[in-house]
Amino acid sequence: MDWLELLREAAPVMLRGAGYTVLFALAAMLGGLLIGFPVAVLRLLPYRWLSWPAGVYVSLMRGTPLLVQMFVIYYGLPSVGIEFTPVTAGILALSLNSGAFLSESLRGAIGAISKGQWAASFSLGLGYWSTLYYVVLPQALRVAVPAMSNTLISLIKDTSLVSVITLTELMLSTKEVIATTFQPLQLYLAAAAIYWALSLLFEALQRRMEQRLNRAHHSR
Amino acid sequence: MLKRHFILLLAAALALPASAADLLTTVKARGTLKVALEGTYPPFNYKEKNGELAGYDVDVAKLLAAKLGLKVEFVSSEWASILAGLAANKYDVIISQVGINPKREQAFDFSQPYIYSMPQLIVRNNETAVYKTLADLKGKKLGVGQGSVYEQQAKAVPGVEVRSYAAAPDTMSDLASGRIDAALNDSLMSAYLLKISRLPIKAGAQVGAVERMGIPFKKGNPEFKQALNKALADAAADGSLKAISLKWFGTDVSKAP
Repeated sequence: MDWLELLREAAPVMLRGAGYTVLFALAAMLGGLLIGFPVAVLRLLPYRWLSWPAGVYVSLMRGTPLLVQMFVIYYGLPSVGIEFTPVTAGILALSLNSGAFLSESLRGAIGAISKGQWAASFSLGLGYWSTLYYVVLPQALRVAVPAMSNTLISLIKDTSLVSVITLTELMLSTKEVIATTFQPLQLYLAAAAIYWALSLLFEALQRRMEQRLNRAHHSR
Repeated sequence: MLKRHFILLLAAALALPASAADLLTTVKARGTLKVALEGTYPPFNYKEKNGELAGYDVDVAKLLAAKLGLKVEFVSSEWASILAGLAANKYDVIISQVGINPKREQAFDFSQPYIYSMPQLIVRNNETAVYKTLADLKGKKLGVGQGSVYEQQAKAVPGVEVRSYAAAPDTMSDLASGRIDAALNDSLMSAYLLKISRLPIKAGAQVGAVERMGIPFKKGNPEFKQALNKALADAAADGSLKAISLKWFGTDVSKAP
């Protein structure tokens, strides 16, 4: 079994790379959510001077390649005196990028909650923020989870782009092994299997989230 | 050999104005020389099974640092962004088969060449046509490295159908399976590729001029340049550079042919 031998040889390097991939994915998911929520809310506010910059941010992040964003953050910003370590720059770029996509999923979901919910809540004496937090968001999240999971699972694979800023994540470590073993197909398949396994974990997490948020909608 | 340089313009655009202190002062004070390399380019620079960097470039870096009285700190970077990283001060030098050419010399200073090679064709074992020059490949498909100088050389020849590949292993397997008719790469790299890939392919004609690889660093560091060139000259004079060359290639590639 030639390729079992190959995989055993490649495993230490690729698993170390996979560790970095998980680190970047988790950190950027957290960062993306922390950015996505406020941005979604800002875009829904009736104040132009708040919603407009948020809209520009989303448009810019969705409309330019992630590769270019990383490049600018890591190689471009030092020329104006802002310098990040590779790890910080990678997490920042991934967070800013996924935050934009997440905010759109959330904005859509919040918009999907009927005006009647707001009106009913206001009539009970709740303010804007209380209504948003206690009435609208719990319902909106239920709608938003599948779309947000899309973004988060894409994010796992997008981490491969941090290799351009000198970080040896799963994809680059796979290329390193390929460079000395010349077995691209087997090793790329192995890398794909690792990515898939990571995605499966998040799919399981998504199912649990959905079940939890759907409690009120179970037929009895 | 690696002459991929589409990122060069960006690198030049990002280049900072020269800092006040000479690079030599900076590295002496730090005690380490930060060296960038690809890490996926055997036999020049690659990772061993134990994760340690090895190769001609790695040995040259260690040798030169020792001559400068410094420790080496390696940074692995993808080729696409390696020059931009130098422009943004992420490391001091690149020792990763950077070809010296006028465009790059506008953006960076180079040491004296530390390795020489030639562009070489690779063909299938059963190839009956003889390609002596790139022009002989008119109407044929030629595989090259993305962003490499070979890509530019190949595209400059009218009628050649150029296919650009991200990695050498992919080029070689497509050549073996007949999707392309020939591949163009560096003569030193070719010898290694043929040995390790175990595919039904062989070396073809050497085409074009001798390539010089140097060590780029940021402009405006005359003292560093002088010290680096002296270290290279010393290494050549005492035979230690030649010994590294013999170890990796069996011939002395550190001298102009």
